[in-house]
Amino acid sequence: MIDNIIHSALIMTTPVLLAALGGLINRVGGLVNIGLGAMMLSGALVGFLVAADDGSWPLALAAAGLAGAVTALAMSLIVTRLGADEIIVGLGLNIVVAGLVRFFLKSHFHTSGTLGLPAVTMLPRYDLPGIADLPVLGAIFSGHDILTWMSWVLVPATVWFLARTRAGLRLRAAGAAPGPARALGLAPLAIRDISSVYAGFLSGLAGAYLAIGVVGIFNEGIVAGRGFIALAAFYFGRNRPVATAMGALLFGFFDAIQIRLQGRGVPAELVQMLPYAMVIVFLTLVAVAARRRAQKVDVHD
Amino acid sequence: MRLGARGLVRRFGTLTANDRVDFAARRGTVHAIVGGNGAGKSTLMRILQGVDQPDEGSVIVDGKPVAFRHPADAFARGIGMVHQEFMLVPGLSLLENLILAREPADALGRLDIPAALAAARALEHQAGVTLDWHMPVDDAPVHVRQIVEILRLLYRGADVLILDEPTAVLAPSQVRDLIGLLQRLKADGRTILFISHKLDEVMSVADDITVMRQGRVVASLAAAATSKAAIAEMMIGEIVDAPAARPASAGTAVLSVVDLVATDPRGIVKLRGVDLTVHAGEIVAVAGVAGNGQDELVAAVTGLGRRLRGSVTLAGVDIADLPPSARRARGLAYLSPDRKAEGLCIAASIADNTIAGHHRRPAFSAGGILRRGAIARHVETLLDRYSVQRAASDLPISSLSGGNQQRVAIARELDGAPKVLVSCQPTRGVDIRGIAFIHRCLLDYRDRGGAVLLVSEELDEIIALADRIVVLFEGRRTGEIRRGDGDIEAIGRMMLGERAA
Amino acid sequence: MTAMPETALAASAASGWSRRAGTLALPALPVVLAFALAAIVLALAGHDPVDVYGQLLTEAFGSRQRIASTLAASTPLILSGLAIAVAFRAGAFNVGVEGCIYVGGLAAAFAGFTFTGLGPALLPVALVTGIATGALWMLLPGLLRARLGVDEVVTTLMLNFIAISLTSYLVNGPLLAPGAANSATPMIADAARLPRLFSGINLNAGFAIALALVVLYWLWGRWTAIGFETRLAGLNARFARATGLDVPMLIIRMMLMSGAIGGLAGAVHALGNVHRFVAGFSPGYGFTGIAVALLGRGNALGILLAAILFGALATSGATIQLFTDVPVEIVNILQGMVMIFAVARFGLLFARRKAS
Repeated sequence: MIDNIIHSALIMTTPVLLAALGGLINRVGGLVNIGLGAMMLSGALVGFLVAADDGSWPLALAAAGLAGAVTALAMSLIVTRLGADEIIVGLGLNIVVAGLVRFFLKSHFHTSGTLGLPAVTMLPRYDLPGIADLPVLGAIFSGHDILTWMSWVLVPATVWFLARTRAGLRLRAAGAAPGPARALGLAPLAIRDISSVYAGFLSGLAGAYLAIGVVGIFNEGIVAGRGFIALAAFYFGRNRPVATAMGALLFGFFDAIQIRLQGRGVPAELVQMLPYAMVIVFLTLVAVAARRRAQKVDVHD
Repeated sequence: MRLGARGLVRRFGTLTANDRVDFAARRGTVHAIVGGNGAGKSTLMRILQGVDQPDEGSVIVDGKPVAFRHPADAFARGIGMVHQEFMLVPGLSLLENLILAREPADALGRLDIPAALAAARALEHQAGVTLDWHMPVDDAPVHVRQIVEILRLLYRGADVLILDEPTAVLAPSQVRDLIGLLQRLKADGRTILFISHKLDEVMSVADDITVMRQGRVVASLAAAATSKAAIAEMMIGEIVDAPAARPASAGTAVLSVVDLVATDPRGIVKLRGVDLTVHAGEIVAVAGVAGNGQDELVAAVTGLGRRLRGSVTLAGVDIADLPPSARRARGLAYLSPDRKAEGLCIAASIADNTIAGHHRRPAFSAGGILRRGAIARHVETLLDRYSVQRAASDLPISSLSGGNQQRVAIARELDGAPKVLVSCQPTRGVDIRGIAFIHRCLLDYRDRGGAVLLVSEELDEIIALADRIVVLFEGRRTGEIRRGDGDIEAIGRMMLGERAA
Repeated sequence: MTAMPETALAASAASGWSRRAGTLALPALPVVLAFALAAIVLALAGHDPVDVYGQLLTEAFGSRQRIASTLAASTPLILSGLAIAVAFRAGAFNVGVEGCIYVGGLAAAFAGFTFTGLGPALLPVALVTGIATGALWMLLPGLLRARLGVDEVVTTLMLNFIAISLTSYLVNGPLLAPGAANSATPMIADAARLPRLFSGINLNAGFAIALALVVLYWLWGRWTAIGFETRLAGLNARFARATGLDVPMLIIRMMLMSGAIGGLAGAVHALGNVHRFVAGFSPGYGFTGIAVALLGRGNALGILLAAILFGALATSGATIQLFTDVPVEIVNILQGMVMIFAVARFGLLFARRKAS
């Protein structure tokens, strides 16, 4: 029972974590990405199509990442080169991509909403010998696929990248102060575009994970608001990768237990509200703390 | 000659900001460029660092004319600028700011922190300072940020440093440190262009001085061959149509602050117990080097900033805890030093800017409904009275010149007979004719019985207008001078912290 | 004492209408561009774009009945566009109108099937219930933004999902109609229904309410002191504060106003069209409203025209899917692209070219 919950919580965490880490990099680079969901959706569809008919799953992942990246680049260019507001473009992108996907399903497959294809290659899951049978540890470490491993490896890697690499330093500078960054000879807009492409790539993978890692069919609602959950995760984590991962894990856990709770009389809808409510509560606490700090002034300094 | 200009001309519309400017800074010297507001210093700086291009003439580098299209062109020639608003990146450490865009790193892009730190230590050694390089820039005090900016230019290979009013944000001891730093850099063969209007500093640091006035170079001479008084005279020239200051007859106390303690927006105490009274029919000026508590005094009086302690009384009523709206309703008017961001709503029309804040008066609205006709008539009368040159009053106020914009702000603030006017940098960015007009407005208001609290960085303006001068230094009063009691020298000494006898 | 930290004030000035909306030379450009790109999508799918657009036009405006359908479809969009525009005017970006429509719609429906003994007073009571609920829903983000400087974009966005989940819980549980399989409240009483404007034509009084509100919005912006103050606060919060306006209070009031209009949109949809509340109540009216407000540039007439454009697309798109094989989603594609292009400053392309 507990093993089951842990395992499915980790599975539910993976797509959110991937997209959140991408969105985090994007936000550090200076763009709040409201369109992660759109990138996940395009990745899910493309990954699913490539994996069908005994397709290769590495190829499917690559294609999904690429689809997400292209979607992100389109959005980013409109924001950086045409001075459009990122929030509005992100919301608009979610509408356009959802429309395009449904349009495509109807025009091409003459199906509305759900698409099942024969012989879809799923992401292989690996059991770790010796660990798989252990209680709790087995559920945590065994029976996962490459994307889950990758998403968790990315957490410390992101910390290291931001703090210790030239690219990470330049990314932080471009996001925090584009004017000075430009004056020093950097190209903050291009850096921002690259961070968007990265966010799109990871979101595309996250989408593919949902389509060929979890369910094996494609549905227009497959993303189910996880782009916004990812947004909630990196807002919750305040751009720190470890805290963001904790947020994603918490939301994955909610996702995993809501079905079980429903059996015990706790409505799933109320559990679904929790991630969003937590972000509001958390932002409020942060603002209150900041205000406290500002008001604590020593007159005799 | 390391850096100079020959016949530089830059026009903005009818205004000639730089009119055949010549100067030459020798290698290994500190060259000061001095002049009052609107003398054309900032335009010259923008051209020298490639941000702006001249209409005629050229920048001279190492004796040859060059054309800078971008700041990068100037930088490639070793010319770097320390800006008044610093160009450090928040959220990064001092070290990260130092190396940004020139990071020591291996082939994989990993930062070589020890190498960066070694470079930082070497620069520290050259400059004779010690810094905590791992401190986030947000926590660093302003003089530390300035040093990091200077060291960053050195790190990036600049050997000509342009410093724009570098001491405006510094305390006097920090000014001495900065001057020491500049002298060490000079001894290493670097060339320093020092822009300022503070003559004490200029005389103590500069080898050569170029004096500018109204866009022209008035004189270029060796510091050793001149005196502060001579430079001051060249800077000021003859003031066109200067309003003669009339002795005023002061009436009852209108505005008084007692033991006022206030913080800046970051929560740092900047005003440490100040007493001050302004009477009806009196102009009281606050003099001081920028950042010595003037902004916080104004913010505490207007209600736009945080007061920790002390009282603010307007016409006998304690207003210290009232919001800005209630203070205005009791007769407080406020002319902002930041015209574009606070004094005016640049995106709104001339008329909207003229009526804003008065639109709730019974003459202009009833039951929350605007009387648009009455408002339009009033606006026209007011704008005509203040001779605001305009094509139509419903045009955006951004279509007006700086001087006309300031007239709109003054027209609005003096409308409705306020009891006291808090007037900050009233002539900043205004041309010489506009200055005379604004001065006359302030004096007329005083003569009608108005009380004026004047805050200005222009000592000439203060001396021309004030009936009394209160000097602030590090948040405290260092002295008070009545009209005719003291000279510029005495005020200058008090501004640097020397207490009046 | 200041209520907002300086940074929040600066941010509110920057996030005002001018920055969000940018500047635009041609108001029609985003529409033209969206239709051009959507034409490519149609052509790729094997449809003749000219033919499809012609059909859309006919279906939207080809007869009195069709015009009525278009206006009916534009009613919630007019209201949500106004809701967003009101907050925008004060410098707040309310992404949460969708949530207001959900809670307002449910509250109005609840009143409509619960207080059935009120007789003719039921309709106004139900409307007011929806309005009040919508306003209340925006109280928290308004307070947080004005008093603590918490970004209202994030809080209102999050509140949308909370509203959708919360109402979905209520209609599946406590408010589920007896005997219904799932996800719907009981039908509202007849007295709570918005009456038709003309007999035989499917256009109810909600459209008249929306039109009246457009006029009120115009009057408010041009003739009232608070409208003037809201504009100043949105354009430059620092200036507004220095001239004596209570900017945080203005932001709270306009967020409440925005929520109230959003709640009214939900109430009108519940009492005029659906006659109860069902899960999936709004097909994104609150988000389309952003496109409407942006395309209309916050201007009363502009909002009306933009809402009619999107209403026409919605109604004709649904119809042509029935008769041809063009998927109705072409409408979403158009809507989203108009929204995106409405904030793009194409002038920057030319500026850049000139500079280089």
